[in-house]
Amino acid sequence: MSIITQNLVYFVIAIAIIIILLIWAYSTNRLQQDFNTLTWTLIPVAIAINVVIGQIVVTLKLPVYLDSIGTVFVGVLCGPWAGAITGMLSNIIWGTIIDPNAFPWFPVAFFIGLVAGFCAKAGLFKSWWKVIVTGFLVALTAAAVSTPISVGVYGGITASGSSFITAYLLQTGQNLLPAVLITNNLVEPFDKISTALLAYAIMQGLSTRFLARFPRPQNVEVQKDVNWMQIIIAVIIVIAVLAFYILVVVNLTNK
Amino acid sequence: MHERLSFYTKRDSSLHKLNPLTKLTLAFSLVLISFISPWYWTPHVLLLLILIPLSFLGKVSGEFLRALFRLILPAAGFLFLMQAFFQPIGSSIIFKIWFLDITKESLIFAFRNAMRIAIMVSSFTLFLLTTHPSELMSELTRRGLPGQFAYVIISTLQIIPQMQAKAQTIIAAQRSRGLDTQSGFLKRVGSLIPLVGPLVFGSLVEVEERAIAIEARGFTSTREKTFLYDIPDTNLDRALRWMLILLVIASLALRIWLS
Repeated sequence: MSIITQNLVYFVIAIAIIIILLIWAYSTNRLQQDFNTLTWTLIPVAIAINVVIGQIVVTLKLPVYLDSIGTVFVGVLCGPWAGAITGMLSNIIWGTIIDPNAFPWFPVAFFIGLVAGFCAKAGLFKSWWKVIVTGFLVALTAAAVSTPISVGVYGGITASGSSFITAYLLQTGQNLLPAVLITNNLVEPFDKISTALLAYAIMQGLSTRFLARFPRPQNVEVQKDVNWMQIIIAVIIVIAVLAFYILVVVNLTNK
Repeated sequence: MHERLSFYTKRDSSLHKLNPLTKLTLAFSLVLISFISPWYWTPHVLLLLILIPLSFLGKVSGEFLRALFRLILPAAGFLFLMQAFFQPIGSSIIFKIWFLDITKESLIFAFRNAMRIAIMVSSFTLFLLTTHPSELMSELTRRGLPGQFAYVIISTLQIIPQMQAKAQTIIAAQRSRGLDTQSGFLKRVGSLIPLVGPLVFGSLVEVEERAIAIEARGFTSTREKTFLYDIPDTNLDRALRWMLILLVIASLALRIWLS
């Protein structure tokens, strides 16, 4: 039981981190520069895109959620802080109006928008393979943030289908925290990479004139030439991050 | 078709007349108390002795209980079953199915978690049943929430049902052109693009027009705004809010003191 209490503390810490980040961004004017009138009108549409595409995916019975396309879209075109706010409001509105189970996950959505925005700022949204890297980084963040929430609020086993993996790992004698972490790391990359690719496809379909009215159109200028050296370096980095993650998880398990 | 996505049921009751902020505080503090209170029975007592009587007080008991059965019981029930089967804690096994064993401890644990989730869902349901979204937003704006947030929340509530209707139209149109949305896995993946594409492009085009429209109505103006409706804030409201905050602090203190 003590692990539950401990993780509820993590949830409080996550909220405190979000508030500190927002105050920091506000005081250094980073928050304000992401917001013009077009950003404010895009956010409701992006939230609606999150919700409606999430529901279409359920109708098509696909094994992913795809409920953060709008968040990634705003994060890339309007900047990380706009993306973060979109994600947070999306889950808060979804949670209070449609399905209250979405409410506790708002820190996850916050970090999805934030990381997508920073990746795009670093130029990781300019060709298809860079978008995959972005999706991968977003997935790692989402898995790390959602684990304490899943453990703290739901005791590790939520009402979603992927909890069967967690349950299986628990039955094989795994501890609760690593079991949830492993599950999230298995499930999230599929979801977030396809989310990022779909957002990229949407942006490619929009006209340059339309994109130019948002705060950061330079994030999506396409690079036509494929640089194989860069791809190889990216693959090596991804493998290194994965190896590091597996190492951390194994260490957690041995405790 | 719903014009607006909302649970709100208009009734004439003392719960409806409370200030929206008081009801919001009530919802949040009930959730917090059920999560941090040190006693096992708190969530159950809250549901039976506070939430259900309150729904009668607000004259929305019919809608509330229906929502309880339709929305809360499946989610909490599924969570209860999953946790009862899969939590590997405790040693006093009640019965065993294949490799799954249900212990007394896991049953107790699962029941508490399910009840906490039920409290979370039902207190917000009660809040939404008795509070109109635009009433809440104008009250929060009056208390210093930036107007842009109120715009985002209210217009999201209007856009979601419109977009759901549009999605239904697109699905029907693409099906009539022979799009396969029910057979094999790869077919279903492939049908995602023709559904998502028109929906997203169509709604994004409207964004620009809307931006111009609200810009022309002084959206970014920093002048102090006036309010069309006056929402009463009585002494009872203030007293209730302080009492709820004190209760949350008290249960936190008890939690720390007792552990």
